[in-house]
Amino acid sequence: MELETVRRIRGAKELVEEAVDAATFRIGEVQRVMTRKPYAVLAHVTPIAVPVRAIEEAHVHIVDGVYFAIRLGNRLAGLMAGHALDRLEAHARGKAAP
Amino acid sequence: MAEDEGRELGRPAWSATATSILNGCIGDYLTRRDNGLAIDMAFYGRGKPLPLTPDSLRAEWGPPTRKLCVLLHGLCCHEGVWNYPDDPTRTYGHALRDDLGYTPLFLRYNTGLPIPYNGKSLDTLLDELLLAYPEPVDEIILIGHSMGGLVIRGACHNGVDRDASWVRLVSKAFYLGTPHEGAVLEKVAQLMTSVLRAVPHPVTALVGDVAEQRSQGIKDLRDGTTVHADDFAGAVPWLASARHYLIAGTVTDDPEHLAARLFGDGLVHPPQAGDNVRLFPGVGHMDLAHDEAVYGQIRTWCASA
Repeated sequence: MELETVRRIRGAKELVEEAVDAATFRIGEVQRVMTRKPYAVLAHVTPIAVPVRAIEEAHVHIVDGVYFAIRLGNRLAGLMAGHALDRLEAHARGKAAP
Repeated sequence: MAEDEGRELGRPAWSATATSILNGCIGDYLTRRDNGLAIDMAFYGRGKPLPLTPDSLRAEWGPPTRKLCVLLHGLCCHEGVWNYPDDPTRTYGHALRDDLGYTPLFLRYNTGLPIPYNGKSLDTLLDELLLAYPEPVDEIILIGHSMGGLVIRGACHNGVDRDASWVRLVSKAFYLGTPHEGAVLEKVAQLMTSVLRAVPHPVTALVGDVAEQRSQGIKDLRDGTTVHADDFAGAVPWLASARHYLIAGTVTDDPEHLAARLFGDGLVHPPQAGDNVRLFPGVGHMDLAHDEAVYGQIRTWCASA
């Protein structure tokens, strides 16, 4: 494989990694806002306000956890792909050397 | 295998097409992040960058002529846009070489970068080309498709500013479907983005934010920006020492048709009629880069004094 090809594949890998990271962050933010909306209505009912707040926090934490897991998986996959590309690059450099 | 065949025919590989589209959409981001997918401006031949050395230029085109023709593609494209679909070995560049002796040089660049930035890069690259070219150059003609035309104007402005030697050699510039007055599509996109971001809802704001990530190159098409506002205020003058020719198309055979009036060539509205303006009804925006009738007009203008 040519060095230029490895460079491009690395570029694509980095782009996918950055896109997944940014997308999960922004979508997570939006989902957090959307998640809080029905709870905000329910929290106006005084007798259930306290349990509603507790459930809301648990819900938001689960949502955050899901996005965190996606980002973590993304980073790990990126790391592994990076190592594989390092090896490919070393191989390509070896072949390119006179 | 198919990619190799394409290269032999002069048509870049599908991966080059995908990379060019990506560069058009988010090329400024790719460059900022030093991403390996970002395209560096260079002259290309057989799908690969041409090193600017006399030997490589000779190897690409055989005996060099003293007349050069530089071709610039538009947004999200590469030099493959010049290939005729039914005969990939034919381009305006090849035809001008055969008919009038111009040595064609096909530029590939990151169309997502700001147009003024690409103009400056082209100015520098043309200087380097003249230094490396194996023969003294008597004449340069520039052909720009769509955004490429704006890059030409930016390069000429920079070249004049610093009295570059290549600018004095430019005799003619051809603009094919170039949005000198700005592209309506980008104006609509800007309006839509603003509306989406103004709507007080997180989902529409998110969609608006995503749309706002489009490249500065696309945003520069809104007003047909050729030079950075800090460098030059007001309308950028056309290169006085060259003749400028505008070629445009329309989506319908009847240029007075409502669709043609609304959409122009599909992306860009035709300029006002004039001596150096030629309208090709029924020729769409992309087809302007590889149409026999358009070539005939370019050839006629090139052959004229």
